[in-house]
Amino acid sequence: METLAKLQILSGAARYDASCASSGCSREGNPFSTGNTSQSGICHSWSDDGRCISLLKILLSNDCIYDCAYCVNRSSNPVERASFEAREVADLTMDFYRRNYIEGLFLSSAVMKSPDQTMECMISVVEILRNEERFRGYIHLKIIPGSSPELVRRAGLYADRISVNIELPSHESLKRLAPQKEKFSILEPMSLIGREIGQNLLERRTSRKAPKFAPAGQSTQMIVGASPESDFQILKLSQGLYRKMNLKRVYYSAFVPVNEDNRLPVLAAPPLLREHRLYQADWLLRFYGFSAEEILSDDMPNLDESFDPKTAWALRHPEFYPVEINRADYATLLRVPGIGVTSARRIITARRFSVITPEGLKKIGVVMKRARYFITCSGRPFEKPAGSVPQLRNRLLLGSGSDIMVVEPPKQLVLPGLFA
Amino acid sequence: MNRYLYDGTSEGLLSAVAHIISEEDDVERVTLAERENTLFEEGCYISTDTAAAEEFFSRLQKQASEAAYTFYYFTMAEREGLETSMLRYLSLAMRHGSKVNGYLTHPAVKEIVTVARKAGRELHRMKGLLRFEKLQDGAYLAKMEPDNNIIHPLALHFSKRLRAENWFIYDVRRRTAARWNRGTLMLGAIEQFTAPALSEEEKAVQALWKTFFGTIAISERRNPRLQKSNMPMKYWKYLTEKQGEQ
Repeated sequence: METLAKLQILSGAARYDASCASSGCSREGNPFSTGNTSQSGICHSWSDDGRCISLLKILLSNDCIYDCAYCVNRSSNPVERASFEAREVADLTMDFYRRNYIEGLFLSSAVMKSPDQTMECMISVVEILRNEERFRGYIHLKIIPGSSPELVRRAGLYADRISVNIELPSHESLKRLAPQKEKFSILEPMSLIGREIGQNLLERRTSRKAPKFAPAGQSTQMIVGASPESDFQILKLSQGLYRKMNLKRVYYSAFVPVNEDNRLPVLAAPPLLREHRLYQADWLLRFYGFSAEEILSDDMPNLDESFDPKTAWALRHPEFYPVEINRADYATLLRVPGIGVTSARRIITARRFSVITPEGLKKIGVVMKRARYFITCSGRPFEKPAGSVPQLRNRLLLGSGSDIMVVEPPKQLVLPGLFA
Repeated sequence: MNRYLYDGTSEGLLSAVAHIISEEDDVERVTLAERENTLFEEGCYISTDTAAAEEFFSRLQKQASEAAYTFYYFTMAEREGLETSMLRYLSLAMRHGSKVNGYLTHPAVKEIVTVARKAGRELHRMKGLLRFEKLQDGAYLAKMEPDNNIIHPLALHFSKRLRAENWFIYDVRRRTAARWNRGTLMLGAIEQFTAPALSEEEKAVQALWKTFFGTIAISERRNPRLQKSNMPMKYWKYLTEKQGEQ
């Protein structure tokens, strides 16, 4: 089979993996090598679905022995099968990199004969890239669940980022939809990687020559909407992964039905809004000092569709507001809808020069259409206080304080008395 | 209110700023503009003094390195009519140091920082969106038409990344080019540009990239609006993956 035909099959099979980051580690080139990496990461293009392309994202093979219900590559699916030679992938990567199409390679694979055999093949690709081609660009390697610790260690020495996909957020769903995968075989390599990264950081502190192990950290992915777990369950799992296993990122991938299977839900469209809300909540966990238990609870296990999770929290906690812009500390400012990490920092810095006026607040970049209901500026509110929470909800919805326009219209807009 | 004039160059701007800061008590009460050389133009012209400009800039780098960066990015934007804001910004920078960029509630700081940030954003964007094509002699060529004059820092980026290749970057609108010959970086003006022939393999590699670009998108998630907001159409002209589809 020609490379072009293989590329078509094996990039098409890899597109459901959401990870695209090329950030998190900075490495200089040298006179005999090609490539370097940049701390912030660089996006090189955006595909027709609006997602960024920064890595050549492909599978080494889609010829799978597993039969997971949700997966397009499952063994019972009548799709065309293909496998790359290691050399082919290395050449593709170098040709693309020299033309500045990509930051590097993202390599995953279906399980060909066994996890170990597949992992060996994947490692041989990156060995060619790093040793023969002297490639110093970004490499993200997927770890095949069930591959031996020795191979995981070798992968981490070549790759910038490694990841194991959880795919389904609970043991039960995994058993039902991916009967050949086990929770153990997924979590075991994840915690091994977490330990190795931690230990490697210590070694590098004492010796600058110590080889780097996955310097850009590890990430994972969960499919949203293929199984019955609530947002609360998903967020608690993410929170545990961030806290206990030191993950850099958890990706959420809205379930796109690619197979007919009576174990799978029938969806009219991928749950994109839900995915978007989960990412927002994920940001609250990582950068805004929220815990999963603050965002959701057993009584309210799913994220509000009409409001971003921070606005939803604000509506449930009227006692927290209004926040005084000229006095509140960083953590408090972060809890104001419409104020993000950047504008909270800017407010703190700008206050050192002068008192912040409403005019100044706009210059700083605060999203006033949301923030205006929750703040005072030198004691003065922007809005007449809303009498009740439902009233505030409506004001936010009508005054486009909801960010909903970005994604899709809400299922139900409450507009009583709008034209009265 | 005193009105000052300078010759329109970066050095002229810096020497005027240096002069005004040392002469005036309150820069908020003076203006600075480019000389137009009309008969009845009013204002005090400050002639360009390269030594004074350099001395001022190195003082700026020491006292407010962030502001020196901001000035550098500001000049890439090639914006006219903001000299008074720049004067006030630099005066504040000399007083407050690097943290001046946090004084966003000041109109002059806000204006200068926004312009500089935009140039910086385009530089970062172009690091991803620039596309090289392989020529017959094995060298690579990339063409672009950015809004800001970013060729110098952009070429520096690629001199670290693609150091084992020979390449050219050509700014079509400004007719400037950068050239890397696996060791030194050269910048210069191009009088006449004739497109050199592409290498044999170039078509095949471009076809591979276009195929990848097509199949990596999930059709159920098609979202052209998001694509355009992340990658404005003004950049599509030189994007390999967008050729032959408009």
